Amino acid sequence: MDNTTHDYLSQSDAVKARFDKLKQREVILEVKGLNKVYKSAQGETTALSNVSFKTHRREFVCVIGPSGCGKSTLIRILAGLESYSGGQVLLDGKPVTGPGRDRGMVFQGYTLFPWLTVRKNVMFGLEMNGMSSEEARREADLWLELVGLERFASAYPHQLSGGMKQRVAIARALVNQPRILLMDEPFGALDAQTRCKMQAHLLDIWRNVDVTILFITHDLDEAILLADRILVLKANPGEVQELIEVPVPRPRSVDQLFTPEFIATKARLEALIHPPASIASDEVETVKPHMIRFTNVADNVE
Amino acid sequence: METTAWFAARQELPPNRRKLLAIGSFVLPILIWCLVSYVPFLWHPMVRISDPGAVDYFQADMLVDKAVFQAELETVQTQGGALPVGELSNPIYLPPPHKVAEAFYTGFTTPPASKDGLWLHQSLWQSIQVIFWGFLLSSLVAVPLGVLAGTYSAVSRLFEPFIEFFRYLPAPAFGALAVAVLGIYEGPKIAIIFIGTFFQQVLIISNTTRKLDYALLEAALTLGTSRLKLLRHVVIPGILPDLYRDQRILLGWAWTYLIVAELIGTSSGITWFITQQARYEHFENVYAAILMIGIIGLGTDLVLAWLGKRLFPWDKPANKQ
Amino acid sequence: MSSSSGITGFKQLLRRTVLVAGLGLAMVVEAAQPIKIGYSDWPGWVAWQVAIEKGWFKEAGVDVKFEWFDYAASMTAFSAGKIDAVTVTNGDALVTAAGGAKNVMIIVTDYSNGNDMIVGKPGIKSLKDLKGKKVGLEIGLVEHLLLLNGLEKAGLNEADVSIVNTPTNETPQALASGSLAAIGAWQPNSGEAMKRVPGAKPIYTSADEPGLIYDVLTVNPVSLSTRRADWEKIVKVWGKVVTYINDPKTQPDAVKIMAGRVGLKPAAYLPFLKGTRLLTLEEGKQVMVKADGFKSLYGSTKIVDDFNVKYGIYKKPQDLDKAIDTSLVNK
Repeated sequence: MDNTTHDYLSQSDAVKARFDKLKQREVILEVKGLNKVYKSAQGETTALSNVSFKTHRREFVCVIGPSGCGKSTLIRILAGLESYSGGQVLLDGKPVTGPGRDRGMVFQGYTLFPWLTVRKNVMFGLEMNGMSSEEARREADLWLELVGLERFASAYPHQLSGGMKQRVAIARALVNQPRILLMDEPFGALDAQTRCKMQAHLLDIWRNVDVTILFITHDLDEAILLADRILVLKANPGEVQELIEVPVPRPRSVDQLFTPEFIATKARLEALIHPPASIASDEVETVKPHMIRFTNVADNVE
Repeated sequence: METTAWFAARQELPPNRRKLLAIGSFVLPILIWCLVSYVPFLWHPMVRISDPGAVDYFQADMLVDKAVFQAELETVQTQGGALPVGELSNPIYLPPPHKVAEAFYTGFTTPPASKDGLWLHQSLWQSIQVIFWGFLLSSLVAVPLGVLAGTYSAVSRLFEPFIEFFRYLPAPAFGALAVAVLGIYEGPKIAIIFIGTFFQQVLIISNTTRKLDYALLEAALTLGTSRLKLLRHVVIPGILPDLYRDQRILLGWAWTYLIVAELIGTSSGITWFITQQARYEHFENVYAAILMIGIIGLGTDLVLAWLGKRLFPWDKPANKQ
Repeated sequence: MSSSSGITGFKQLLRRTVLVAGLGLAMVVEAAQPIKIGYSDWPGWVAWQVAIEKGWFKEAGVDVKFEWFDYAASMTAFSAGKIDAVTVTNGDALVTAAGGAKNVMIIVTDYSNGNDMIVGKPGIKSLKDLKGKKVGLEIGLVEHLLLLNGLEKAGLNEADVSIVNTPTNETPQALASGSLAAIGAWQPNSGEAMKRVPGAKPIYTSADEPGLIYDVLTVNPVSLSTRRADWEKIVKVWGKVVTYINDPKTQPDAVKIMAGRVGLKPAAYLPFLKGTRLLTLEEGKQVMVKADGFKSLYGSTKIVDDFNVKYGIYKKPQDLDKAIDTSLVNK
């Protein structure tokens, strides 16, 4: 393997060809000069400043940034759950005015309706939009099969594991056949192993379903593993720092974690999100306290 | 696990220990009561006169302080005359358990003494009806209002400040007013239960509604739920198990207003029995009646808890073992 | 009223409305209902239970419904206009009237004959011994009046004792605490005070001044005027009740009925009955003659009225001629 420094900007031919094809597709979501200012008694806080980007159909975009960069605010604005102060959000060229079924959302916390069975949870959106319950049930079962939970259709959410809950949440959002699936750190609360499985599972779904995904995460590996492009935000105020095209070829798997493209991309992300200066100033002093030995001198562990 | 400590903070005990403690929580007070009642040297500050002897004001069955009896006994001993006789006894307001148990039984088996009188179970039934109607009427208004106030800030801002004020006004203070407006029978009694329950109920239920995870509403919105449908399809089913628990607690509160409610207007229900028996110092009957209220209250709550488990199979706290 | 008869029904209603126009429409509705009388736990009033259980009202052809109350609740119900008559003391009849609920006393059912008492602690043998001492009672109530009445007879006046305002049901504890020389209370509180303080004795009771406290049946004047014939029948029934209770042959049955009403054994109830002097219609007639002093309802009520005004229970003296109607017992 080539261990010399690899440039994250250089793309193999196959990857370049994929990106060219991707950019040919129609734009699903367009964000233009988005601003968000919070007004409070202490004054105004700018959460997002002049954020602009586009996503194309069936593209997988990850949004990453340090805490306080406004990535959650961004996705909530896209979902229509929060208002914005300036700029434009266009879905299929039409401005977004509030929540709607054309944008599915998967939250970090588990937001399944506890009083409904798994199947009823998935049917919820369809029934709210006037579909007969028989038809909704058929649809729901189809999507439950896709996420591999058909056996749990009659279970209640509290009987499921965290990973299963999020799979139901994905099915619940996708059954509405949204134009874009917004995911707000959906695997943040899962253990490492489950998260790994869920990532592979999500890629599988994405491959088989005509859906565009906007995925928020703070995990750099996750972003590189999943995304076509990564939108990097910086904090205070939240601004776009860079939109990175991930050079790691598809299909993706954890085996690619140590390929030069992966390492180069991760290094770039590290540099953007944790600038070296801040590490030096914040941590060095506190990490080296004076150690007193509390054990017997002969009782060594190393 | 064998080694679970009896006192581990916020840790549930194994089932057999839980059962043991639940039984103990009833057995312990009864045991103390038995000890105080049947073991003379523990308390027994009085003497029940069985033979007045030469003391002019003593009568049979009269209760006097131990010290007084001793003093009179010594006086008679020095002056001569028949000695008074009596046995140690507790004050009249602490009858022994067997007397109360007896009163409990005879209360139900004794036919009413007067023609228009009621059996004890009929009096109890009157009381239960007062509670039922008072609580039902209160719930019919307070539950919807509480849910709306918990959901819509406008409703909350319009109603809650006044309700916060009104809930401090003691319900019994409205007794005379209730009689003037609603007559002398069940009306004013039900009204007192209503006033005693309603205002707390609105506040508690609006608070419960506010505790519903807002993310569930957001999730429903992103699934294309209209704002009008949110109330029926998310808010109400979402709070139902907690609402049910609130109602159980509030029903208990309604019972605590029963005695003041039934003192208003014509004498009726279990209160008539209690006040009448207390006036003539038949405290064993008073305790028996209090016991009945407790049994009915606890019984209702247990049934409702059991029912709740079946009504809300998704509700974790209710199904936690 | 049935509405099926249409126009005729309406005309009828109109005619009746005109007839009783001065009394108000409410009376039309009330005329169809039984007369409601509130009674409570006092032997002179529990006595009515005999008539209720014997069915004497039905026999007399009058539709009466007795409602059992706590004493205070019965006055509230009467004041609110929810019952047509109520059993009270003559003093409370005045207080009720002063509060706006005018009423007319038509029968004297009894007077307290020892149930109300001043109880002195051991060593206090008579009212004279109270000079310069503390007496606990509820100011403005009937025991206060009893004490003043007794002091006057003993050649003392109110200034000679110091009165400590004490709720009646707390008088037993107050006497037991030892800081008072005497208390004023009625049964069963007075009896309990004597039980608690061995050697304590009644030094003055309502038996020493019969007529200090009369108990009456008092009626809403509107009801009395619109249903006079019914009230006359009710008065007749009272005569029958007293005869039945006083007759040694029927007394045990009467006491059994009365004890049943209050939830006591007949033997336990007898002492309370003895502290009450029931009045026959003939005796009532003699009491309801205008005169001064306690022998007359007028005299007694005048004294209570003065007392009430003096102690600010109400401001203006009541019109006793309107408060008492002797015509029914004299018929």
